[in-house]
Amino acid sequence: MPFDPHFIARLIPALLEGAKVTVELAALTMAICLVWGLLVALAHSTRGLLGSIAGGYIQLVRNTPLLIQLYVVYFGFSMAGFGLSGFASGLLALCAQNGGYVAEIYRGGLQSVSIRQFEAGRALGMRRRTLYTTVILPQVIARVIPPLTNQSISIIKDTSQVAAIAVMEIMKITEVWVETSANTYDVFLGAALIYLALTSIAGLVGKLAERSLAFAQ
Amino acid sequence: MEDTLNDASSLAIELAPARQRRPMLEIAGLCKSFGALEVLRDVSVVVSPGEVVVVIGPSGSGKTTLLRCINLLEEYERGTIAVDGEPIGYRTDGRSGRRARMSEREIARARERIGMVFQSFNLFPHMNVLQNIVAAPVRVRRIERRQAEARARELLAMVGLSDKVAEYPIRLSGGQQQRVAIARALAMDPKIMLFDEVTSALDPELVGEVLAAMQQLAGDGMTMVVVTHEMSFARDIADRILFIDGGVIVEEGKPDQLLFAPQTERVGAFLKRYNDRYRI
Amino acid sequence: MKELGPLIHSFWYLLRGAGMTVLMATSAVVPATLLGVLLALLHVFGGWLLRSAILGYLFLIRGIPLLVLLTFVYYLMPLTGIDLPPFWGVVLVISLYYAAFVSEVFRAGILSLPQAQWDAARSLGMTRRLMLQIVVLPQALRLSAPPYVSLCVSLVKATSLVSIVGLWELTMASREVVERTLAPFQIFIGAAAIYFCICYTLALYGRHLERRVLLGH
Repeated sequence: MPFDPHFIARLIPALLEGAKVTVELAALTMAICLVWGLLVALAHSTRGLLGSIAGGYIQLVRNTPLLIQLYVVYFGFSMAGFGLSGFASGLLALCAQNGGYVAEIYRGGLQSVSIRQFEAGRALGMRRRTLYTTVILPQVIARVIPPLTNQSISIIKDTSQVAAIAVMEIMKITEVWVETSANTYDVFLGAALIYLALTSIAGLVGKLAERSLAFAQ
Repeated sequence: MEDTLNDASSLAIELAPARQRRPMLEIAGLCKSFGALEVLRDVSVVVSPGEVVVVIGPSGSGKTTLLRCINLLEEYERGTIAVDGEPIGYRTDGRSGRRARMSEREIARARERIGMVFQSFNLFPHMNVLQNIVAAPVRVRRIERRQAEARARELLAMVGLSDKVAEYPIRLSGGQQQRVAIARALAMDPKIMLFDEVTSALDPELVGEVLAAMQQLAGDGMTMVVVTHEMSFARDIADRILFIDGGVIVEEGKPDQLLFAPQTERVGAFLKRYNDRYRI
Repeated sequence: MKELGPLIHSFWYLLRGAGMTVLMATSAVVPATLLGVLLALLHVFGGWLLRSAILGYLFLIRGIPLLVLLTFVYYLMPLTGIDLPPFWGVVLVISLYYAAFVSEVFRAGILSLPQAQWDAARSLGMTRRLMLQIVVLPQALRLSAPPYVSLCVSLVKATSLVSIVGLWELTMASREVVERTLAPFQIFIGAAAIYFCICYTLALYGRHLERRVLLGH
């Protein structure tokens, strides 16, 4: 419990190493999900088998815990023969789950653009491609940024769960250090601060993105 | 019981000599700004009991704000307002000129006797018609539920909606909702009724039924202050018309005089624009 | 996939785990809801001091993963000497965590009420207390119900995290079975299926509520 500067000096680099992994994992997940979520959303919007499969996929990943998904991928796949590393398993599971959430965000964004915008564009004689790129898409982009920002914050927090499959991100390192030292408070404080910093940065980036696209609204 | 007392007092008012009648509404020197924008400048109005005053004017002239200041839905910087002799909102010390805001309880009590009907009806969507009307009498004035419900049915009959007692607002047309809103305000037995552009949000064919209800109310002797765009209605119902522009009462007078022989140019221009489009 | 044997044999054990999951979730949801509603009211109507405190609390919860908080309490409990059974310890943490989200959802419900409703209530002479009681809160509750149900789903899934700090519920039960039978794929998917049943049912109820809210307003 005493504030031990030597301890802190050793702790910080270790936590920062973990932060690197966290950021890598979160950033990759977000990047992949932006595309994967879009594909899922497009699939979901079609009628027929593809639409149903996409819908089923979304419901599946939204209604099962991330931890179970992690276990299925990490332990299940290795037993089945194609084992993945902790990091890869974490990435796969995170993308699977957040892909579903991002798909729903896209859907909500598109739905919230008033039907009148479509009608106005068509009345002006715009063809489909022009209508979408100049009228609809800018508005959809403006509307999905806030929920996507929230989702990215959620992703950063969810990376903590890959500690359960021994990936050395912030949470795992925290665990290791707490087990091997007596300064419980300092370690948790450090971890909390780093997470707060990461999520705040993500939030700020989101706000900046919102503002720079504000003209669309 | 309440009704007999009211009837008696209305009778007393009618029998009393005119100069002993206390004004129902007295607004003196009302000033209000939204930030840098002066919306009301030194507005003064006196309304006698049973009088129907209609306020007209262009958009942004301050007429809605004036109405909302009366029951303190809007705060104002200077001036006094009194309803039936009782100040509302602020108490101003006559000598020092300083004013103190009345407590929330006092303001709420004062609002009980001022009825207001809004442009967007504002019925409570989670209650049916009857519940909407009795909610305030039962919970605010502690009137016994059965009595309140009986009075509610009377009022609904008066506005012609007896069969809608158990309906929810979402199932009613705009005109019907507005008439329920009028009944709801009347259920509190107000001394004065304020109407804020109550037909502006209605489809034209539904406007008539609301205006008819208001006509009846005026005929029964209710003191009313009505903000409206409907010029022909203004001519039919008003004892006096006020024209507001830029936060100032530009002209006031009897309907026939103001509408057909206005004395100021601004009023003339406004009415001409109106005439060109609608014809009074 | 080839042999469902292990899953079938241990299904009853998993179901008991699910029972514990439901118990934990219900125990946490009640205080989370009560506290969340209270915080929302304080946030909307309270003075600047209260609001600042609540904003600080929301910032912390928003930025720190639940797992970090759970682990923190797990290591902290023995040190402080408070003799709290682990079950109630984690229920407490989960409640405090989700109270933040409940409060934001409910606050949004209150704020989304049109000003016109407040005007009407005020013009009828209602005091603030009466206004809240019969006009604002009933409507805010109805409006908040669908996102609130989503939070409940999220809470159920979050109970899986307590397995990481050693508490027994469905996820822990499934881990035990996997260790015994070495059939991770079947068992974890079985657990996922059980979670799905619980969460999807709740989600369907949420969608039903959403339709009702849309109709009523």
